[in-house]
Amino acid sequence: MADITRRLNDIDPPVPLLEGGHDYETLTDRISEIVDTKPHPKLWLILFLPASLGVMLLLIALTKLFVVGVGIWGIRIPVGWGWDIINFVWWIGIGHAGTLISAILLLFMQDWRTSINRFAEAMTLFAVMCAGMYPIIHMGRPWVAYFILPYPNSMALWPQFRSPLAWDVFAISTYFSVSLLFWYTGLVPDFATMRDRAKNKFARYVFAIASLGWRGSARHWSRYEMAYLLLAGLSTPLVVSVHSIISFDFAVGIIPGWHTTIFPPYFVAGAVYAGFAMVLILAIPIRHLYNLKDIITMKHIDLMAIVMLVTGLVVFYGYIMEAFFAWYSNSFWERAMLVHRSMGYYAWSYWALIFCNGLVPQFLWFKKVRQSTFWLFVISIIVSIGMWLERYVIIVTSLARDFLPTAWGNYHGTKWDVMTFIGTIGFFTFMFLLFVRFIPMISSFELKMLLEKNKHKGQAH
Amino acid sequence: MLQHTEQNPRLLALQRKALIVGVAGIAVLLGTSLMAGIDNFFQSYLYAFIFWNGLALGCLSALMLHHMVAGRWGFMIQRILEAGARNLLFTAVLILPILFVGMKYLYPWVPEPFAELHGIAAAKHKAEGLMVPVLNISWYNQWFFMVRAAIYFAVWIFLMLRLTGLSHKLDQTGDQTIIGRFRTTSAQGLVMYVITMTFAACDWGMSLEPEWFSTIYGPLYIVGQGLGTLALSVIILNKIADDKPHAPVIKTDYFHHIGSLMTGFVVLWTYIQFSQFLITYSGNLPEEIPWYIHRQGNFFAIISVLLMIFHFFLPLFILLQRRVKRARRGLLLMAKWILIARFTDVFWIIVPAFHPNGEGYGPVAFIMSVAALAGVGGFWVFMFVRNLNKYPLLPLNDDRMNESLGIGPFAAHHQEAAEHVV
Repeated sequence: MADITRRLNDIDPPVPLLEGGHDYETLTDRISEIVDTKPHPKLWLILFLPASLGVMLLLIALTKLFVVGVGIWGIRIPVGWGWDIINFVWWIGIGHAGTLISAILLLFMQDWRTSINRFAEAMTLFAVMCAGMYPIIHMGRPWVAYFILPYPNSMALWPQFRSPLAWDVFAISTYFSVSLLFWYTGLVPDFATMRDRAKNKFARYVFAIASLGWRGSARHWSRYEMAYLLLAGLSTPLVVSVHSIISFDFAVGIIPGWHTTIFPPYFVAGAVYAGFAMVLILAIPIRHLYNLKDIITMKHIDLMAIVMLVTGLVVFYGYIMEAFFAWYSNSFWERAMLVHRSMGYYAWSYWALIFCNGLVPQFLWFKKVRQSTFWLFVISIIVSIGMWLERYVIIVTSLARDFLPTAWGNYHGTKWDVMTFIGTIGFFTFMFLLFVRFIPMISSFELKMLLEKNKHKGQAH
Repeated sequence: MLQHTEQNPRLLALQRKALIVGVAGIAVLLGTSLMAGIDNFFQSYLYAFIFWNGLALGCLSALMLHHMVAGRWGFMIQRILEAGARNLLFTAVLILPILFVGMKYLYPWVPEPFAELHGIAAAKHKAEGLMVPVLNISWYNQWFFMVRAAIYFAVWIFLMLRLTGLSHKLDQTGDQTIIGRFRTTSAQGLVMYVITMTFAACDWGMSLEPEWFSTIYGPLYIVGQGLGTLALSVIILNKIADDKPHAPVIKTDYFHHIGSLMTGFVVLWTYIQFSQFLITYSGNLPEEIPWYIHRQGNFFAIISVLLMIFHFFLPLFILLQRRVKRARRGLLLMAKWILIARFTDVFWIIVPAFHPNGEGYGPVAFIMSVAALAGVGGFWVFMFVRNLNKYPLLPLNDDRMNESLGIGPFAAHHQEAAEHVV
């Protein structure tokens, strides 16, 4: 009976994760030539200039901040957390996609991570750098930032361990160091390839040091695999823990709009959501610019869009729960928060948020949209804006209307807030462009493993 | 090759045992109810209903998840999940006594509650506050509550009928376009399930203590149901794995995968329970913290500690070991363990609502809870095995499965690749 009908493969043909009939040599060439031989695309330089200007802007904003103080920002009582903390949460959220791709998808044996993990991890590192900056400059006296570390000192000064703000210090520093180690470990075999290919003596010298004497012996590989798997295991809880702890920064307080139990999973989903949007924002131009369409295929793009849709739905679920339970609680303050958010002074931000994060991603249900890099790029940008707005809504609207009406006050960021934010975007782009220029942005040896695996498995994976 | 005609003797034995347990459980429950009163009967019954209905729903959601990801291990348990989901027809009947008789013995917001439930005044006050716009009735209105329950069951049964129907059709016709329909139904179905389950949890469980609210309450049920379903799948799979049609295709790897998923769900459950606790505890607000105080006294204090140890620490560290997940007996033991932990967790969520701080919760009440769980469970398992035996134990014509296992039309292609598959 079954034979007379069409097979599944005819109806829905499997899409390979690697196109273009590559073998080992062409793959190595393809990825390494971006760094060592090929002249770099002009667009790189055109992007590098504004990125550098962004870094300058950041330096100016920070200098002004250090000279004058946090008063240059719009923050004041009752809104003591403003753009700085919004940007902090935004940036750290973006980092999460990198860790998810590199660690969780590795443990789940998802082969599609291979083409995108390297630059997603780099994205994580630079995003965490941007994020880490904010709490420190938020302190007002960043030169005593080391007070937040618990160390025995003559002042008998200890951090408040019951405060999630102190947990943040550990969460973020652990996150950064593990992500850095993970990224670097993955790079070692590729650095060795670069060393062997390098024609320029200086480059060979630098890559030789970076590759830590890698010779590719069986023993090296076996230890490498073990180390990489262990680091993946270590990174996996970090995907969840970091943003959960950041959600505790808000949720353990009793401010209506902050104190809600859905926050931990909802923050984590939001982080992955924003992170995948950023990966798409980076991946789509990269595959055009460096002509990597055979390596970062439409299958990758499609899967990333699906992850974005799923996490977006979780986030939207969070919004619905917040609104429903604010009503269901029958608590005056919870309901006042809901009314203020949706109909008050900041209503524009709430509805813009629902539009960007709740409605627009619903287009991702359609395969046609997921197959169009243009529309995906647009949606990813809208989602990034939406995720920024989400933190704006949570932080600003909740603080601006707390329990005492006489203490209410509206908040707006100042030009210095904007400059600092644009500055970190500049810094992120700056670092990312340098990464693309000097380090192999796709893991070439893992792609070769995938090639080997596919050869044996045929089309099936 | 995958056809089978004779019924699995182990399943039939399980079915017989289940029926005995079911009859005995219900008999004990009814007997003790004569002593302890009808309110105690419904309180135990609600607990049993929420658990077993949750297990049927867990099967439905896991089935939808399976159709989305289509892992090889998923096909091994697909029919188990379908049989469990079919039990939604049974649990839809189970809820009727609660809706038509039991509500006034359970929910303090019912205008004329029978028992002296705690916080009746607060519940009444809240019922007045929860006026639904447009409809102009309270959220806490008996009729509205019934309508909502009907909607939840309508959605779940629709999804179940559609997925099992498609599955049956695929068995018979081999039409592979059905797989696309599996995917669409499952994607949309998961969204519908999460929303309806959240509100169902809010109705049936949360409103037992009307002053209380928690936005993560729905996910707490959803994750618990998933974990229970995995445990059930391991137990049943163990019974059928050595016979046709599973025996030629089953691999230790599949048990390993389910074991890993179980580990993940144990962590996820802990994550959600702990987040809710930490946030509520830190806030220490008068409308929230009583929920935890109710679960802190006497007998319930012991249960709280037992949950931490037996629902998180021990299973996590045992399941993290590879050899436990790969040993059939080890995993079976853990599955039974987790099922008992799931009984306990649902007990901890539901029952303290009627006996804040463990007051008035004595041995008789405990026997009633256990008897209700066993009684309803016995019939649930009986129906489950009946559903399972009606259809082939593995999907017959699913190309996704046949290709990944290298059977049916894919047998030849698979030979050469077999040794390289990890």
